[in-house]
Amino acid sequence: MVTSLLSSDDLTQARALLEATGLQFETPYDDMVGIFEAGRLVAVGARQGRTLKMLAVAPSHQGGTLLDEVVTELVGRGYQEGVDSFFVFTSPALAPNFETLNFHLLAASGKTALLEYGDGLKRYLARFTRLVHPGNNGAIVANCNPFTLGHRYLVEQAAAAVDQLFLFVVREERSLFPFGARMRMVQDGTADLANVTVVDTSWYAISSITFPTYFLKDGDPGGAIQMELDLTLFAQRIAPHFQVKTRFVGSEPLCGTTAAYNEAMHRILPPLGIEVREIERKNADQHPISASRVRDMLLRGELEGIAELVPVSTLDFLLSSEGIKIWDKGGAR
Amino acid sequence: MKIVKKAQAGTMQSSDLMVFLEPAETLNVTIESTVLKQFGALIRAKVDEVLAKHGVEAGEVRITDRGALDYAIEARLETAIMRATEG
Repeated sequence: MVTSLLSSDDLTQARALLEATGLQFETPYDDMVGIFEAGRLVAVGARQGRTLKMLAVAPSHQGGTLLDEVVTELVGRGYQEGVDSFFVFTSPALAPNFETLNFHLLAASGKTALLEYGDGLKRYLARFTRLVHPGNNGAIVANCNPFTLGHRYLVEQAAAAVDQLFLFVVREERSLFPFGARMRMVQDGTADLANVTVVDTSWYAISSITFPTYFLKDGDPGGAIQMELDLTLFAQRIAPHFQVKTRFVGSEPLCGTTAAYNEAMHRILPPLGIEVREIERKNADQHPISASRVRDMLLRGELEGIAELVPVSTLDFLLSSEGIKIWDKGGAR
Repeated sequence: MKIVKKAQAGTMQSSDLMVFLEPAETLNVTIESTVLKQFGALIRAKVDEVLAKHGVEAGEVRITDRGALDYAIEARLETAIMRATEG
């Protein structure tokens, strides 16, 4: 029977089982379950948000149904908590164990494979089928936190070079501006560009699943593997659906993580058939326009200079009562 | 019967299936199976039959199957329907 692992003895046994199978005990997690036999833990698994992790079965008990039981329990409980899509990272050699449980391989890169339970990617792509026009299409993936004249310049340059430009706005809620607000700023700021289509990334590009360290600036070395998975997934599964042949990106003189991501794009995407075009960052006052520069100015209350960095549509939002609530946490205004 | 809340039944073990039900405006059934090529049409027919028997006319129905026999499909789906419709 699958039970929750809660007591310190449970956790000690879980740690020992994980280490015996070459894994690590990785906090945090939302839920951890296991199966005991005569007081000894023989299978373990945990869920953190949408990701299943720390899945291990004692060598003496492998080949049976214990993994199935643990995954069933984690998915069933997660579903009740409101999670509708589940992911697992494993080695490509172990991926078939999950494929028999109806997990689907999203992308594999080097020693890591990312699989998804259910048909989330297919349903995500199906949402946009009617929006795609055949042609020489391009893509930008951006957080737009908030949407600046730098983004606008990149979008204009890219849109002029392709038939249809898809602007993927990062869905993840890890930014100062919530997704809904970012999406609206992007839609309002690009409404006059006829061949630009604004869509969301769901969990399939620059998300806490595909690229968790993106949101921790100057991330750890593990970030390199995640960038490769993120970009492989984009090139193999997302770009073909949108008939995207070129990915556009702004040059990155400021942020280490983003610069490394750009560098990884040049390395990974062209061999998979996606051209990468890096466009020089637009300047204002001899400094590159960036969303972080706008956020810094907002948080310091320097509102005068912001008009030179963002389109009117973004400025209107930032100065609306809804916008002010987002950046002026102290409520001084 | 009307699906009024999320519910789930079944397991991921071989010869079993997992059923996920959610309220929705229209009826939308998606089936994934390790034997979809061979038995997809039969699974679908069974699912439609059970939904009709219980008068389920709307809802998001997601099934992931690992080769369950038809009485297992019926039992799991009925269980999920009971859980999704009860007060």
